[in-house]
Amino acid sequence: MTAVTQNIPGQTSRKKSIWNKLWEQKYLLLMSVPVLLYVLFFNYYPLWGWRYAFENLDTKTIKTGADWIGLGNFQWLFGRDDFIQSIWNTLAMSTINLVLGTLSAVLLAILLNEVRNKGFKRTVQTVTYLPHFLSMVIVVSMAQEIFAYNGPVNHVLKTLGLTKDTVYWLGDKKYFWGLVGVINVWKEVGWNSIIYISTMTSIDPTLYEAAAIDGAGRFRRILHVTLPGIKSTFVVLLIMNIGHLMEAGFEIQYLLGNAQVLDRSQTIDVFVMNYGIGNNKYGRAIAAGMFKSVVGIILLFGANFIAKALDEETLL
Amino acid sequence: MRKLVALLLALSMILSMASIALAETEEPIVVTVFRGDPGDQPDSDNKIYKMIEEEFGIKFEIEFLAGDLDETLGTKLANEEYPDLFDGGNSAETLINAGALIDLMPYITEEGTPNLYNHIKDLLPQLVNENGELFIIPNYGIHYNAQIQMACNGPAFFIQKQVLAWDNYPQIKTLDQYFDLIERFIAANPTDENGAAYEGFAILCEDWRHFCLINPVQHLMGRPNDGEVLINVNSGNYETETFIDKPYAKPYYKKLNEAYKKGLINPDTFVMTYDQYIAKLSSGTVLGMFDQTWDFGTATAALETAGMYKNTYIALPLVYDESYGFGVIEEHYLNGAVPNKDRGFGISTSCEDPERMIALFEALLSDEWQKILQWGIEGEDYYVENGRMLMTAEQYNVRSDATWKKANQALAIWESAPKKQGTMDDGNAWAPADQDENYFALMSDYDKEFLTAYGYKKPADFFNAPIELAPYGEAWQIDKAPIQDDYDDYLLIQDQWLPKIIMSADDAEFDANWDAFVAEITPSAQIYTEFMQAEVLKLVELATK
Repeated sequence: MTAVTQNIPGQTSRKKSIWNKLWEQKYLLLMSVPVLLYVLFFNYYPLWGWRYAFENLDTKTIKTGADWIGLGNFQWLFGRDDFIQSIWNTLAMSTINLVLGTLSAVLLAILLNEVRNKGFKRTVQTVTYLPHFLSMVIVVSMAQEIFAYNGPVNHVLKTLGLTKDTVYWLGDKKYFWGLVGVINVWKEVGWNSIIYISTMTSIDPTLYEAAAIDGAGRFRRILHVTLPGIKSTFVVLLIMNIGHLMEAGFEIQYLLGNAQVLDRSQTIDVFVMNYGIGNNKYGRAIAAGMFKSVVGIILLFGANFIAKALDEETLL
Repeated sequence: MRKLVALLLALSMILSMASIALAETEEPIVVTVFRGDPGDQPDSDNKIYKMIEEEFGIKFEIEFLAGDLDETLGTKLANEEYPDLFDGGNSAETLINAGALIDLMPYITEEGTPNLYNHIKDLLPQLVNENGELFIIPNYGIHYNAQIQMACNGPAFFIQKQVLAWDNYPQIKTLDQYFDLIERFIAANPTDENGAAYEGFAILCEDWRHFCLINPVQHLMGRPNDGEVLINVNSGNYETETFIDKPYAKPYYKKLNEAYKKGLINPDTFVMTYDQYIAKLSSGTVLGMFDQTWDFGTATAALETAGMYKNTYIALPLVYDESYGFGVIEEHYLNGAVPNKDRGFGISTSCEDPERMIALFEALLSDEWQKILQWGIEGEDYYVENGRMLMTAEQYNVRSDATWKKANQALAIWESAPKKQGTMDDGNAWAPADQDENYFALMSDYDKEFLTAYGYKKPADFFNAPIELAPYGEAWQIDKAPIQDDYDDYLLIQDQWLPKIIMSADDAEFDANWDAFVAEITPSAQIYTEFMQAEVLKLVELATK
């Protein structure tokens, strides 16, 4: 009996304390309402549109009401070789972007972290992150000039004797993924490295001093102090990026691609644009988008699970 | 005195009542307009739009296409965001199929809208659909009195005038002569005067403009533009077949392959965008291409503005010569006038006052307004002498100036609205450029010299006279929406294979590529052929009914 009587007040007080807590934080909670509304309206409300994935929605039926066709749109999608290919293209290009993007960002951050001259460091940082603000249209136009058949890259390669024949960068599909990777690195390396640089500045300097006293040279210090210091940031970013693995980008493939390289350049997004929006078959477009989202969710949970298993920081 | 005051009072009352009455019927409105192709916004004080606003109380808010047409239309349709006047450009069928446009037939009557009624009455069987509905009045191709064709405005092989001049103005009639001339010219003149390398032959492959790559064979075989099919009009059965997969297409691409191996074709031609193509043509370094005149008008204008007349293009009607084994082929590039079916303004279902739009088109189609829209203001943009409408060199030349156009022409409306072409009742040409005096007198000295060297009066003299238009019209106008997926495949296979075929390293590779291409395209080509055959016969039946 005594145990019970002791328990009940305990429970009520705990309950009360939650409400109290909420009441105490009411202003903070109020401030989160707009964001919550934003997410509900722009991220959850559109999910209602997923029902169209099961209808034969196009410009004709949009007025009269589309028919329920079950998995018809999905059957159409997966019956097409080029859709299957576009899944592989998406995954391949995002993996390339993820690996190259992360490695280049970490490398740049480490290099900048080792630079003693403040002015030089700042200049390099600014110069490398400015391209992030350029529109992809401009970047691709520049790339098309630079990698043109009679363009500067081919000129340099041939003058240096590195290649015998002129390389058909823009029309030979085997170069497409590489080009996308290179262009993305050029555009984003500075931007991506900012977060690593800021993490590195928060590493306790005494660790470096201790390592130096223990006789560690520069490379040792990078290996044993800097890298472990950014490990958790690295993992969190990796999980977030894996969730976005189905988003290889749209603009660059759409702008840089052409019929010659379509087998390598068509991502799911481009496919949706060409066959869904372009042909006014909205149902197919939504089916493809839905497939992409579902895979994205699975990837995110998968990555999170692995991170948990490795006893690292997790997102969820 | 009292009488005068009374009279004045009465007059002012009548005037004010009249103005009230006017204000009631002509309440100023803003009409939203979408144009299915890119263009320049007119100046806010554009004189023609001002006149329209004063006369009809209508102000336009114009949106031009930016980006891909099908995607733009698709987005607009999905959002049900329709402008009042909706020009779907080359994909207007999408708008019609989606029910975004209203049927114009109920609004067009002999009494109510005589101009519009007379404009289309003879063509109605061709223009209306199976239900007797008409959604768009053609923007071009309806000719009054005598049709005038000064130059080839459609598809042809083009060559820079200087190339012909360099070889002392030869007659180029066949594919072999054409490429032989380009090859000899480039051997003798590898670069232009600024040191930029010449490119022998360019092929635009981007998006729907890939007709530069996939359409030429029908013309080499002696037919006008039927899109991607060849139609045998002589047999009476209108047998329709795709030509790209046929043995008679192979020699053309073989020729291109040879040209490629000789370095006359730059591989970048297969990956360039339309903008890059226009920039290249405007630089004057591309010697030849297959295209349609209207497709590179901006490049021509740029070359003329820069005074590079020798780098502008002349259209040539090439065919296969006898050595190809297809017999003697007579060229038939120029077709009889084709009403531009389903191209131009439609009135969208969101337009609140369709009657007023119809009334506007009706008024604009009057002789008086057509003169204003096409010629401008008398005394300002042209003058009349002995009943002939004439322009001074200054008045004529300024018409190609983009800045002038923005201030002095209502192009965005005129281009997509129904218009009169051909000849006026008094013998003047509806288009200033078609007026003999203007055309010959105001041509650049270079062009005059060029044509005189050939003994010609106009660029169209390079061509045979237009043949009679086939009863089905031009087959490229047929809407392919019912077989869209197969049609897309059919086009995509060509887009992917033809460049590869042209860039083959040797004959063995060429043959292997060609055979693989034919094998891959046959299924979709078959579906496409069957569909087109049925549609062509349907149109023939409608026209002969």
